Amino acid sequence: MRKAACIASLAVMLSSICILRAQTPAPESRSVWDGVYTEEQAKRGEPVYHKECAACHGDMLTGGESAPPLTGGAFLANWNGLTMGDLFDRIRKTMPQSAPGRLTRQQNADILAFMLNVNKFPAGKTELYRQSEMLKEIRFESAKPVLKK
Amino acid sequence: MCKRKMIQWMTLLFCMAGALALMPVTASAQFRPKDTEWPSYAADLAGTRYRPLDQINASNFSDLEIAWRIKTDNFGDRPEYKLEGTPLMVNGVLYATAGSRRAVIALDPATGELLWIHGEHEGKRGGAAPRQLSGRGLAYWSDGKEERILYVTPGFRLICLDAKSGVRVPSFGQNGAVDLKLNDDQDIFPDLETGEIGIQSAPVVARNTVIIGAAFREGMTPKSMRNNKGYVRGFDVRTGKRLWVFHTIPKKGEFGYDTWEKGSAEYTGNTGVWTQITVDEQLGLVYLPVESPTSDFYGGHRPGNNLFGETLVCVDLKTGERKWHFQLVHHPLWDMDISSAPILADITFGGKPVKAVAQPSKQGFLYVFDRVTGKPIWPMPEKPVEVGNVPGEWYSPTQPIPSKPAAYSRNGVSIDDLIDFTPALRERAKQIASKYHLGPVYTPPTESQLEGPLGTLTMGTASGGTNWPGGSYDPETHNVYVYACNSCIEPIGLVPPPKEVSDLRYIAGTAGKEVQILHGPGENAGADSPRPPKKRAGSEYVPLNLDGLPLVKPPYGTITAINLDKGEFVWQIAHGETPDVVRNSEALKGLNIPRTGQETYNVGTLVTKTLVIAGEGHVTTTADHPRGAMLRAYDKATGKEVGAVYMPAPQTGSPMTYIVNGKQYIVVAVSGGPYSGEYIAYTLPAAGE
Repeated sequence: MRKAACIASLAVMLSSICILRAQTPAPESRSVWDGVYTEEQAKRGEPVYHKECAACHGDMLTGGESAPPLTGGAFLANWNGLTMGDLFDRIRKTMPQSAPGRLTRQQNADILAFMLNVNKFPAGKTELYRQSEMLKEIRFESAKPVLKK
Repeated sequence: MCKRKMIQWMTLLFCMAGALALMPVTASAQFRPKDTEWPSYAADLAGTRYRPLDQINASNFSDLEIAWRIKTDNFGDRPEYKLEGTPLMVNGVLYATAGSRRAVIALDPATGELLWIHGEHEGKRGGAAPRQLSGRGLAYWSDGKEERILYVTPGFRLICLDAKSGVRVPSFGQNGAVDLKLNDDQDIFPDLETGEIGIQSAPVVARNTVIIGAAFREGMTPKSMRNNKGYVRGFDVRTGKRLWVFHTIPKKGEFGYDTWEKGSAEYTGNTGVWTQITVDEQLGLVYLPVESPTSDFYGGHRPGNNLFGETLVCVDLKTGERKWHFQLVHHPLWDMDISSAPILADITFGGKPVKAVAQPSKQGFLYVFDRVTGKPIWPMPEKPVEVGNVPGEWYSPTQPIPSKPAAYSRNGVSIDDLIDFTPALRERAKQIASKYHLGPVYTPPTESQLEGPLGTLTMGTASGGTNWPGGSYDPETHNVYVYACNSCIEPIGLVPPPKEVSDLRYIAGTAGKEVQILHGPGENAGADSPRPPKKRAGSEYVPLNLDGLPLVKPPYGTITAINLDKGEFVWQIAHGETPDVVRNSEALKGLNIPRTGQETYNVGTLVTKTLVIAGEGHVTTTADHPRGAMLRAYDKATGKEVGAVYMPAPQTGSPMTYIVNGKQYIVVAVSGGPYSGEYIAYTLPAAGE
């Protein structure tokens, strides 16, 4: 009887744990406001940007006649509501224009970190991923969220 | 010389057969374009972008639906995200350039069915081209029997195709091609494969002459004060033979050579015509909008006024000889170029008919001349402008300022121009602006200093005002309709480059930033071994926005209707939905902000019998529509919006219109951000739907 009660209690406990697990929300998805790159990575990306991108996009990322700005309203409008994976793949597949795909994933991630830094998105403790699929989990939001946990 | 492997990818026999079957047999009469067609890039050679069609009007514009669409991803070895073309529709076929290979496609204009495609594989020559991707379009020619399509490849070859089949015309040039790097009164250096010269605009064919300009890389940070020159040439449309050349930088002994002091005409380059050329076939006159010389922002190696840099030049269609010219900007220092097609307008001035030409500009002035004589319709007096102090620079003490019409876009920056939604934002903007030298139009560039100024902050420079899409003209009302970016700001700072970077004394840059060898499209040396920066203390990036909010007040982008009989505005509106970053800004919560328009520079307009039509240059997400951009229609008399239709991406090529099988269509190129190029054709639902 006692044994049966113990087993029943255990079963209840386990099921409660299961229920609790099932009810625990998935980890909140991240956005560019959650520190998705490091200062160090942005510093690494800066000279790569100046070497590979600035001739068309400008040394202050303000764009040129043949290339859009990578800062400010026009840039934010293009990517707002999409993911870092979308932006990363666009760079990786089409840039630099003369030889798309020439830069390594690491270089592209570093350039992207630099761009985020110039656009005043906060740096964090982990580097920006180099895999598109993982970057797709990071939302690009132009407006800073009001309430941050 | 590149390997000219011409591929008629799919200039497929079945397509040819299909095309031939679909082609109307109308080649017996002399070619006379109809009002229902769109036979050249800007609708006509006058650059009007006008068609007197009215089936699509205020009452039904919002009912438009997609008739057909074609993605351009497969017309090249990679997708293109910057589709800038405007198709042609003539004699029952729609033609366009498309994709990263700048292929030519022929489509059924009612269904979008692909009739034929032509592409040129240019190898390294194409890869090294300064102006890549699909370009802005092509030209059509017919003598009533033959029909031809002409376009220029990224590698700068003029190709002539049989419009019925897409196959090269063997009797033109060398088997259908003319190498534009040859026979140009100069040796293109360093060699034909990598020599910097190309073009992205559509050729013009007037009478039997094809006219081609030239374009180069971005001119902010050139490696040298020497470059190839952008001469303009006319070619026989039947044979490809060169008929004439106009030296945009005069040769010794030619008029204007002495405006290049110290022999600088010998080595200075660029000064091409990269935008659309306009022609008055009746008068036999060609209007050439000439761009900036080398380099965009530092002219110390080219003292003098520098004719024909940033000059509107009128030449004879038969000979290329100069008839008249007017230099809009003496000794150019702001990358103003002349960025768009001159617009031919038959106006009434002082009670008399006048054949005029109106030139929109980045600096927001609409310059209007008698197009026969070159005399300004309204005076353009020389007015004193600020003279700078960059070592070695040569300054023009005056610039011509049109007395009428008033500037139609912001062309300078003062404290009064800064954002003023709230006092806090205004203060932040003032802090940013304090790091720069502010001033009105023609405020000269400054040497960038860490302690300030970082550069000059003015407007009407690289991407302000009106850029390559240009304006439209309505021959009924004598109004020009022109889009302008009212908030596109690029600071102009100059830094001395290391000798291994450039032989110029100054190039564009910002103090504290490592001066790097800046590689433009086509250059790919040493990619994987970037050197670490040698940053100096105090270096920082100063975004010219406040959390995405533009530094200056709205409207950010406008369309203005300007009456050319009076030289006065008829109306001016903000074009484009308020950007998400403004609409959703916490800092602006509770404020009632009217539609701001958008900060973008590549919006072209279309004018019909009753409407002005233009798409948005940004995507937004609003309660009315999902993430996307709107193609908007305005009452051309009042500027009041009368309809809008959803596009999945921003307009990147100017819209055109035509009627086929009794139905009106509007075709527009969209692309940008994550959305690869697509032409979309809109039409009205079938009756009863």
